[in-house]
Amino acid sequence: MEDDRIDLPQGTLDLLILRTLALGPQHGWAISERIQQVSREVLQVPQGSLYPALHRLERRGWITAEWGISDNNRRAKYYALTKKGRNQLATEAQSWRKLIAAVALVMDMK
Amino acid sequence: MLRDLLHRLRAVFRRTSVERDLDDELRFHVERQTEKYVRTGLTPVEAARRVRLEFGGLDQVKERCRDARGVGLWEGAARNLRYACRALVKRPGFAGVVILTLALGIGGNSAVFSAINAVLLRPLAFPEADQLMLLEQYEPKTANPATFVASLRLADWQRMNGTFQAITGYYPDEISETSGELPERIAAAWVGPRFFQVWGVIPALGRIFTPEEERFGGPGVVVISERFWARRFGSDPNVLGRPLRVGQQWYPIVGVMPASFLFPLRDVDVWRPSPLDAPYAQDRRSTWFTVVGRLKPGITATQAQADLDRIQAELGAKYPATDAALAVRVRPLKDVIVGGVGRSLWLLFAAVSLLLLIACTNVAALLLARTADRQQEISIRYSLGASRASIIRQLLTEALVLAALGSLVGLLVAAGALRMFHVLAGSLPRIAELRLDWTLVAYSLSCAAGATLLFGLLPAVRHTSRQTGESLAHRSRSGIPATYRLHWLLVGVQITLAVPLLFGAGLLLRSFDALGRVSPGFEFDRVLTFRITGNWGETTDIEALARRIDLTLDALRSLPGIGAAATSLAAPGVPFQRQTEFRILEGEATPDQRIAASTRVVSEGYFGTVRIPVVAGEACPREPAAPAAVVNRRFAELYVPGATPIGRHVEHVPTNPFLAAGRIVGVVADAREDGLNREPPAIVYWCQSAPVPAPLFLVRTRAEPMAMADTIRRKLQELEPRRSMYEVMPLDERLSDTLAENRLRTALLSAFALTAVTLAAVGLYGTLSYLVSMRRREIGVRLAMGARRHDIATALLRQGILVSLTGCLVGLWLAAALGRAVSGMLYAISPLDVPTFAGVLLLMTGTAVLSSLWPAVRAARVDPMRVLREE
Repeated sequence: MEDDRIDLPQGTLDLLILRTLALGPQHGWAISERIQQVSREVLQVPQGSLYPALHRLERRGWITAEWGISDNNRRAKYYALTKKGRNQLATEAQSWRKLIAAVALVMDMK
Repeated sequence: MLRDLLHRLRAVFRRTSVERDLDDELRFHVERQTEKYVRTGLTPVEAARRVRLEFGGLDQVKERCRDARGVGLWEGAARNLRYACRALVKRPGFAGVVILTLALGIGGNSAVFSAINAVLLRPLAFPEADQLMLLEQYEPKTANPATFVASLRLADWQRMNGTFQAITGYYPDEISETSGELPERIAAAWVGPRFFQVWGVIPALGRIFTPEEERFGGPGVVVISERFWARRFGSDPNVLGRPLRVGQQWYPIVGVMPASFLFPLRDVDVWRPSPLDAPYAQDRRSTWFTVVGRLKPGITATQAQADLDRIQAELGAKYPATDAALAVRVRPLKDVIVGGVGRSLWLLFAAVSLLLLIACTNVAALLLARTADRQQEISIRYSLGASRASIIRQLLTEALVLAALGSLVGLLVAAGALRMFHVLAGSLPRIAELRLDWTLVAYSLSCAAGATLLFGLLPAVRHTSRQTGESLAHRSRSGIPATYRLHWLLVGVQITLAVPLLFGAGLLLRSFDALGRVSPGFEFDRVLTFRITGNWGETTDIEALARRIDLTLDALRSLPGIGAAATSLAAPGVPFQRQTEFRILEGEATPDQRIAASTRVVSEGYFGTVRIPVVAGEACPREPAAPAAVVNRRFAELYVPGATPIGRHVEHVPTNPFLAAGRIVGVVADAREDGLNREPPAIVYWCQSAPVPAPLFLVRTRAEPMAMADTIRRKLQELEPRRSMYEVMPLDERLSDTLAENRLRTALLSAFALTAVTLAAVGLYGTLSYLVSMRRREIGVRLAMGARRHDIATALLRQGILVSLTGCLVGLWLAAALGRAVSGMLYAISPLDVPTFAGVLLLMTGTAVLSSLWPAVRAARVDPMRVLREE
């Protein structure tokens, strides 16, 4: 397979996780799958970093975890966005858009 | 914050379940991912392989998850502690050296800290002791010292102030108590109203004085000390009401003060009221009280000062003759008691702190070498997924265990040092309050924590960089870092820090030596000093008192083996009073010139006894009909230049009703009366044999002074059986007591400096030995290729000396900068003393050569064949 595993900056992975969870509670594997699908296979979530990131976000209180039953009837840990996490997502999304727009301006200059 | 803590706590206490959850979560992911790849057509084995590749090491991910949760810090601590203990037990020699080094550093530091705590930081042993103030009256316009306070003025201050709960006064006295079989000398204190209330101490038995008893004409009663109670009455609980006989009067005992109450003097046995309204106290110039007050809660010393300034200004307007020139100074009692010892203590504290730093540097070097040895172990832990933080934590835990053990042993060192303080520094203020307590334990533990960071962090950070871990594969087993710059740096730092200590000790030693050689202008060997009991009641008949003292002196002079005898208000060479101002009645008054001189009051025969030569005129005559005085040469040169002072009259300014103008009858040579470490001042000697009931007797003996004590005692017993002789000691011992603080700080600083140099030498030796053992292979190869043994040894030696010299020079520069700190304590030695500089340089270089020699020789003895075979 072509090595698409670009090391995402930490903040970016956090942002992507929060955004994915905004659609509803998910377990870790589904989060990484969803990011991959939505980004049309461009973004590969670095598997080794996913879980440390989830645990870090949980510790900060942006997401909560709860054990549930997965679609194939297995015990899985589901993460959900907290109110604090939602606020955080809003702030981070806004600054992300600002950054993108700014970078675009610079890249498009003549 | 709270959520974070709960999270961590859950992780600690429910560790197994958290770990199981983590396992389950990751396994679920791996399975789903594998299923996904199987669906895309991979074989289960290939799929599993691919997942493992993507995932990285499972253990590493778990470790990172634990770090992310913040679990490792807590649960790891216990594990780290176990590892650390195991690692140290395996290397007892290494652990022993480190613990001993730290024990010296921490122990010394803790001991001096506890002295600072007891003497300077802790409040005096009275309730709310911060409120206790000493109130002094002095004359701001002249250089007059603080004098005692008149009863009337004390009463005025008491009545008019708004800032004190109470103000009282006291003065010490000696009485002969005669109710027993033999008269006993008792140290007594006369105390003003509300004396015990000011201290806030209640009696162990009975009561304190009532207001009636504190008034003139009230019932005469006494309060006694617990010590006197035990000694005289066998601690009889029925002692209250029993009378003490003093002079012709009987005084019932009304109270017993607890043993801890040692004021105003350590050996006070009896307190008696001194009424302010007594007829003999109704002169504003009759002064005898030392005044102490207790501030109201919340009032500062500054506010009290302003209050008393106002009061004294009012009194000045009301009584211009006696009070206009006076001002009041309010000082915290603690500052007065502690006095100048603070400077010495802080100096010693700086010295032991340097010592602790050296110990830490030393241990850092040792740990650095040891951690380098463990590179292999660290690399393996990295490849097992340990994070850098966790490895640093483990190394720091080891350092912490070492430091904790070091501080425990250090406490033993401190306890020993405290016992030594008690013996060596018995005469210093508050030294009796020095003890091993929890503050000290807490202090030495925090020293240990600080030290851990100082010496543990360096090797931990240096030997755990990622590259070190990853380069494991490329290294041979004997792989060693190529440079040793850090090791050398640590050696240099130790030497640099040791030099100022050595330099300071050298300066103090040389100054002490210079002090010993100074010619004081009088002869203090073979002079016995003592006092004979007398009491202030005798001063009502000054002439009778003088007759008694003169008779005693005659009796002493008649004894065989005694050359001369005299009395003096104070011992020569012992600081006594600040200078006072005088006026010379004859000649033109020069208004700008102030005549300031020290005052001494001496009897006939004084100059002969201490051998101060008379230069002109005559010495003090026996009981002069009119007041007479003798001045010293310096006084004559300064204040009566170009003429003879003999025949003129000197007088105190302001005039003192009890000291009329005296005629100058002679001039004597200069002597260091105010302390061996001070230049001779201008002095006025008043000729009076009995200025106080118990002046100091000075007797020149032909043989060993103490050998005469018994003969004198028997003679006095014959003469006046009711009086006793006390404070018997040779004059040189009195002088030596005035140098106690000086001697103590010199001895301690020298001990610290020696320890520092030893530590630095051990550090140099250890580092060089380590380098030689690490470079054996390289040395072996070089020898095999034809290098000369001699060259190898010289190269090492040269490096050792070079580093030491560099450290030494930086240290000397530091010492020169710090020299100012001790300049006030030096006598006749400049803080930039060249011989001391040279001595330090020589000593450090010598030490460096000695400690480098053996490792260098060992390097030269490396057997190339054996080294190459070991490979």
